[in-house]
Amino acid sequence: MAEDLVLDTAIRDWVLIPLSVVMVLIGILRYFVSKLMLSSQLPDPKIVKEGQIIVRARNLRAAANFIPPKSFRSRRVYFSNEENGLLFVPKGQAQNPQAQMFSDPNMAMDMMKKNLSMIIPQTLTFAWVNFFFSGFVAAKIPFPLTQRFRSMLQNGIDLSTVDVSYVSSRSWYFLNLFGLRGLFSLILGEENATDDTQRMMQMSGFGFDPSKNLGAEKDGLDIVQHEWALPKFEHRAEAVLKKLIK
Amino acid sequence: MVSKTEETQLNRLENQVDNGGGGAWEYLCLARKLKVRRPEKVLKYGLSILNDSKKRSALGPEEWTLYEQVAIAAMDCQCLDVAKDCIKVLRKKFPESKRVGRLEGMLLEAKGLWGEAEKAYSSLSEDNPLDQVIHKRRVAMAKAQGNISAAIEWLNKYLEIFMADHDAWRELAEIYVSLQMYKQAAFCYEELILSQPTVPLYHLAYADVLYTLGGLENLQTAKKYYASTIDLTGGKNTRALLGICLCTSAIGQVQKAGTKKTRRVQSCSLWQQKPWRKITKRELMINMACLLVF
Repeated sequence: MAEDLVLDTAIRDWVLIPLSVVMVLIGILRYFVSKLMLSSQLPDPKIVKEGQIIVRARNLRAAANFIPPKSFRSRRVYFSNEENGLLFVPKGQAQNPQAQMFSDPNMAMDMMKKNLSMIIPQTLTFAWVNFFFSGFVAAKIPFPLTQRFRSMLQNGIDLSTVDVSYVSSRSWYFLNLFGLRGLFSLILGEENATDDTQRMMQMSGFGFDPSKNLGAEKDGLDIVQHEWALPKFEHRAEAVLKKLIK
Repeated sequence: MVSKTEETQLNRLENQVDNGGGGAWEYLCLARKLKVRRPEKVLKYGLSILNDSKKRSALGPEEWTLYEQVAIAAMDCQCLDVAKDCIKVLRKKFPESKRVGRLEGMLLEAKGLWGEAEKAYSSLSEDNPLDQVIHKRRVAMAKAQGNISAAIEWLNKYLEIFMADHDAWRELAEIYVSLQMYKQAAFCYEELILSQPTVPLYHLAYADVLYTLGGLENLQTAKKYYASTIDLTGGKNTRALLGICLCTSAIGQVQKAGTKKTRRVQSCSLWQQKPWRKITKRELMINMACLLVF
């Protein structure tokens, strides 16, 4: 089955290149539109404070061995004691952030806007590709694939004998979708709204960020064993001085 | 903290611009990035760029940042007219801007009109309660008026929210030391050590505060921190060397008997018998090594 199909160069001129160009242009358009629609979100004081608490607790954990044991213990109690420790989050409150996120109108609007700006162009482009560029072989993938990919990559081509490496233009669309991210970060600078894949990954891991972080930090802090590193420093200083004298 | 390479680069650019070579704009950009305070030079070169309309239009949108930088430098040098002009230009361009509002507050501060500045800042912070710069300006104002306890209060409020800001901790520590509230200063220095454990400056300051507090435990801890400073600076910090010597003599005085301690006291008094000027660095270090061993 390994006969080589010769693909018309017209396909390259009229399908592959225009499709890529159109996707790049749509990406740039979305970037500018998102810049226009950007509403400056006022950071919530509670969230900022929590972020700072987490940084401080993390510093405490990392450098615990540099301060005297008494100070470390007093700080640990300050952070994680039951009544008013900074990191202590009672069970009931832990569920709040996500519910709060949906009930807070501003944040919900922002999320919806971001979602829409991602979904609509994708849907439109996909429909356009399907309508105009279906029913023919668009490209050949350089490595062999198994039969399972046939339904995904060859949707318009109804011949079951064609090698799976020959794909339709839908797969070219998906390739561009994920691959142009690098190009966009070159043209548009680091933070651009076209970073769909990143946002999709973020979507799945969203929600409980603040309170889970606090709980995690508290646990980490409870685990830390304080081992004062300073006595070692005296010996090291002695070695340094001895070396200097020589 | 400015790193060594950046510092040398800044000095090189400064020399270059002073001696008539070009590069004023790079110098201003670097000064802005590193947040160093060089008001006279910034004012001189910034004004030379701004007054030349060709150079000004060559800057494009960066022009406004330059106006801001020059305004602040002018306030530092007490050239309030220059500052007022710059702020007027900025206000015309950005009528609703909070950043320009901040600059106007700073101008009121520079003129010494504390009440109005306070009003301006409180109205700005109502709109934007999380603006760090406004909080810091308030602290600076209280300090400039000589009202140290108000400065401490504002700084504490600031740190309740932004507790990871190590510059603020440092400022608070210095204020406490100036007020001789050493226990609180020790706490602040501990915070600094936690956030940046490899900076010898904080170890040294902490050791100083502990030594000043006195008491056997504090003296021993101070000695350890002087030792860590020596380790972090490779033995080149004379203050730390002196600190160790003073600590051990103080410990010796506080403690009563014990053979180990008397040896320490003896070698320290040996050192103290020689006149200070005649002690070479080498001898100092030999003494240090002996003291650390025991």
